[in-house]
Amino acid sequence: MNKAHARWVIYLTLGFALVWMLLPFSIEWRSLRPDIASLALFYWVLALPHRVGITTAFAVGIAQDLIEGAPLGLSSPGLMLATLLLLLSYQRIRQYDLLQQSLVVLVLLLLSAGIEQWLRNGVNVPVMPLEALVGLLCSTMCWIPVRAILRQSRRYYEVY
Amino acid sequence: MLSVLCLVSLFLLRDHPRLLAFQRGATDAVAVTAEIILAPVDGWNRLVQSFQSRAALQDEVFRLQQENRVLKGQTQRLVSLLSENARYKALLNSARDIEDELVAAQITSVSPDPARHMVMLDKGSIDGLREGQPVLGAEGLMGQIVMVGQHNSRAVLITDSAHALPVQVNRSGLRAIAEGSGRIDQLVIRHLAATTDIRVGDLLVTSGLGGRFPHGYPVARVTDVTISPGDAFAVVNAAPSSALDRGRFVLVVVRESADSIQPGSQL
Repeated sequence: MNKAHARWVIYLTLGFALVWMLLPFSIEWRSLRPDIASLALFYWVLALPHRVGITTAFAVGIAQDLIEGAPLGLSSPGLMLATLLLLLSYQRIRQYDLLQQSLVVLVLLLLSAGIEQWLRNGVNVPVMPLEALVGLLCSTMCWIPVRAILRQSRRYYEVY
Repeated sequence: MLSVLCLVSLFLLRDHPRLLAFQRGATDAVAVTAEIILAPVDGWNRLVQSFQSRAALQDEVFRLQQENRVLKGQTQRLVSLLSENARYKALLNSARDIEDELVAAQITSVSPDPARHMVMLDKGSIDGLREGQPVLGAEGLMGQIVMVGQHNSRAVLITDSAHALPVQVNRSGLRAIAEGSGRIDQLVIRHLAATTDIRVGDLLVTSGLGGRFPHGYPVARVTDVTISPGDAFAVVNAAPSSALDRGRFVLVVVRESADSIQPGSQL
């Protein structure tokens, strides 16, 4: 039964993470906003690789583009590649302690941001300013709390 | 695999009308979602406003009345100047200015993408907005509309680093292109010869060339001019006249005056 798997929790948390992008940040501090949507995606891929994969990554990327008003498909490829790497090595990454996991997340975020930059260059959308790197660090620091919250909800609702 | 196929087709069909319609629809959906999650904040603000003291309100009414008087005085002169101008134009046999038609809109949110200077407005196609229409602040040009949903639209600001607009130095009539720098308080004017007559404090106004922006709206004021002896071009920076990161109310020019040409190119 679908209900027993409680898959709606996955999509609900991803939705909340995307809504986070809509909260108003002043124009100078925008780049520090942690990328909660990517973190939530990474968590679900690590936790439930048989449920959440490349297709979800694609959908999250499209949703991000729609929210930003960017050309569709700008954020997806980076997220998809990061997800692919996670799917290939989730068993190892699950064994890491939290700090090591945060580092892996930083690398994945850098990778997806790098691919996005490359695509932006290709389609003549302005590339991110350097401050965005600080934003990636903020996101990395959010990994531990995001992971804790999602882990709690996964256990509470028995998502599998 | 399927996702990769989807990506490729999204790229190939990036200008397909259906896809654009979908993006326009998403503009509305995003705006509605933002409105819902910000409803508690808005409600609180409204509550605080409704408890504003009588004295503060009276002060504000007084201030606005004063301002209104001053503005009315200025318009009186404007009317006579307009008619004078129309007579001169008639003498010169040139096209007559029709007054621009404006729609007031409110900025509801700023794009979360730190590389872009885009804002969401609460007016859309049913209010007469179309893509390419100029957006004005109280003190000058702010940007232009790039995507129109039914009830909401997105506008790109002039400081966005993908944006450039033709301007004219008000003092000398010199034409130039003002590019966005990606910083909210700076425009860059490139490719001006080092011998050009441009000074700090010069007002830049829209030149009307290119047909997208009507002629004569203030854009920016020159803040620094650097001429290094070896270079062929001067480095000129300007600060936008309207504070792009302040204030919530903007005006959209929904019908331009007759002497501006209709837009022909996409951003």
